[in-house]
Amino acid sequence: MNEFVVVYSAELMRRVKSRPFQIGLIIGIIGIVAFMKMPSFIGGAFNGNDTRIVIAGEPALTARAKAVLAHDYKIVGVTTDTTAPDAATLKARNLDAWVALSDAKALHVTVYAKDPGKGWNSIGRALAPKVPVEVKSIGSHFADANAADAAQAVAFTMLFFLYMLILINSQLVMSAVAEEKTSRIAELLIATISPVPLLYGKIAVATTLALLQMVIWIGVGVLLGVSDASATAAAGPAGASSVHGFDLSGILAGAVTPVEAISFLILFLLGLLQLSTLFAGLGSLINRTEDIGSISMPLVIPVVGALFIAMAALGMPNAPWVVATSFVPILAPFVMFARIAVSDVPTWQIVTCVAINVLALWAIAQIAGKLYRVGMLLYGRAPSLKQVWHVLRT
Amino acid sequence: MLTVDHVRKDFGKVRAVGDVSFEIPTGITFGLLGPNGAGKTTTMRMILGILTPDSGTVTWNGKKVDGTMRRRFGYLPEERGLYAKMKVREQISFFGRLHGMVEPEITAQTGAWIERLDIGEYADRPCSELSKGNQQKVQVACAAVHRPEFLILDEPFSGLDPVNADMLLAIFNDLKAAGTTLVLSSHQMWQLEALCERFCIITQGENRASGTLADLRAAWATRVLRVAPGSTAVRAVLDRVPGASFVTTDRDSVDYSVPVSTDYSEVLRSLVGADAIVRFDAIEPSLHDIYIKTISEVA
Repeated sequence: MNEFVVVYSAELMRRVKSRPFQIGLIIGIIGIVAFMKMPSFIGGAFNGNDTRIVIAGEPALTARAKAVLAHDYKIVGVTTDTTAPDAATLKARNLDAWVALSDAKALHVTVYAKDPGKGWNSIGRALAPKVPVEVKSIGSHFADANAADAAQAVAFTMLFFLYMLILINSQLVMSAVAEEKTSRIAELLIATISPVPLLYGKIAVATTLALLQMVIWIGVGVLLGVSDASATAAAGPAGASSVHGFDLSGILAGAVTPVEAISFLILFLLGLLQLSTLFAGLGSLINRTEDIGSISMPLVIPVVGALFIAMAALGMPNAPWVVATSFVPILAPFVMFARIAVSDVPTWQIVTCVAINVLALWAIAQIAGKLYRVGMLLYGRAPSLKQVWHVLRT
Repeated sequence: MLTVDHVRKDFGKVRAVGDVSFEIPTGITFGLLGPNGAGKTTTMRMILGILTPDSGTVTWNGKKVDGTMRRRFGYLPEERGLYAKMKVREQISFFGRLHGMVEPEITAQTGAWIERLDIGEYADRPCSELSKGNQQKVQVACAAVHRPEFLILDEPFSGLDPVNADMLLAIFNDLKAAGTTLVLSSHQMWQLEALCERFCIITQGENRASGTLADLRAAWATRVLRVAPGSTAVRAVLDRVPGASFVTTDRDSVDYSVPVSTDYSEVLRSLVGADAIVRFDAIEPSLHDIYIKTISEVA
């Protein structure tokens, strides 16, 4: 235990003082600031002409709307029945929404949507300027469009955090291992203490720093949100429209449920531990720091893939392939979190996902531990896959 | 006492160490010799528990070397390495802590080593700014800051200028006087001969010779007899010594190889009768001679 504490404290100091950590932290803060100052784009991003709708209303209105909306939506049908459909109707016809039009005093649009957060306001904008769009949830996880928008924004933001924190810190673990290997201090260290506290000390530092970064980044985001809210209040109603940032503090306060927060933390820790352990194991095979990029590439690709799948999962959280990938180690921390954020994931799926990934972490730790013990003393040309396999089998 | 008992280590199809055994009594300095690739580093790594022997055992005072024991050992590997950006003082302290030292002992010992190695002016600078020789001195401090019971030094003098080599030589003698058992591996035979009481020569992963210098010399069948002047009369006498053979000559003297059983007083009497003898030495084989002969016999 003492060995672990010594390694942990020395490694923590080295890493906090290191330029990659400091630069990563600053870039993250800049990213958060830029992200929050961007107009909200989440909802509109998911529109497309594969969105299946039915247009309901007076024939004159629906004819005009059909002509305008046909470019962006797949119009499955037109009807005069403007009453709210039930979930079964939407499901039976594989509809995303039932768009009801009325013009009692002025044109008004009511969207009965399966996913109220899908950016339905663009229908109003397409029909005429300043057309009010009322979005109502039909069989959805969310009560209304605002809740869905907020949840997607939160999920997107948190996915961004997950991705940045996990990838940056895992790669920093690899760099730290590679530094000890290439500087030849590894043999002196392994002669002094067991490789286990050395390896896990580094991973624990990566986890600590990732949590620290997360707290700082979220803190910056919340502070910016608070300052934006103050500016909005000071400007009054007339100035409200000019302050159009991404209100993280408001979103976090209103939209992050305890389940999401706990899921985020657990999945974040699982993802970080899985990847940083793998990166550390692979880092021990590096003989030259120039090889870090090529060795880490096979692990970076699945993480980038996981991010894309997770972003898709925000729009289709229950698609079979999304559900399947939400259990796969490395991918699961991103995909399962996205699903939890925007839909009601059954408890058994969450528990199974966590169990599979804890088991995977154990297996990864065994593999990485073996690689690390042998790899730290391997010099000369990079080991072949056959040699790596031999190491893992011994 | 450290006992290495028939250890073997293979890496895949490559046999790094086939069968090595030796004993190192507590408090002595032991020289581990062998050509490059002989298995010295692998043997040292097995002693330290970095590698596990495929067969055979390593014990320290009768107990298998474990993690707790290892923290009382010290090691200076052949391949040097330091944290480039860590300051000298922090680096030595870090290794002190890894070896289980606590304050205020760490600060006191770190300061003492910095002073002893004459690197005070670099103490608060990153190691990357030091010369190779000074980095090596820092590494010695890292290996020995905790006053180890047992210290392995792999090529400790390589790359050092004579002044710094002498400084380390004195430090190793002090460590030995303080009770540390030392194992030295070096290709500087004269330094090993000056420092070590016992030796082991290994080649191709196996013991070839071991013991004190006297033991190694006892196994040597001849001595070199150096006589001056190297006149014709002197050479005529030496040619008549049973088993003697001419080795070399220079302007002033002549060398003959003679059996270890030669009666030197009898030879000297004959030489004095033949010429005015000014030099008569029966030269013992040096460690260098024994080493060269041992590895050439295997080759």
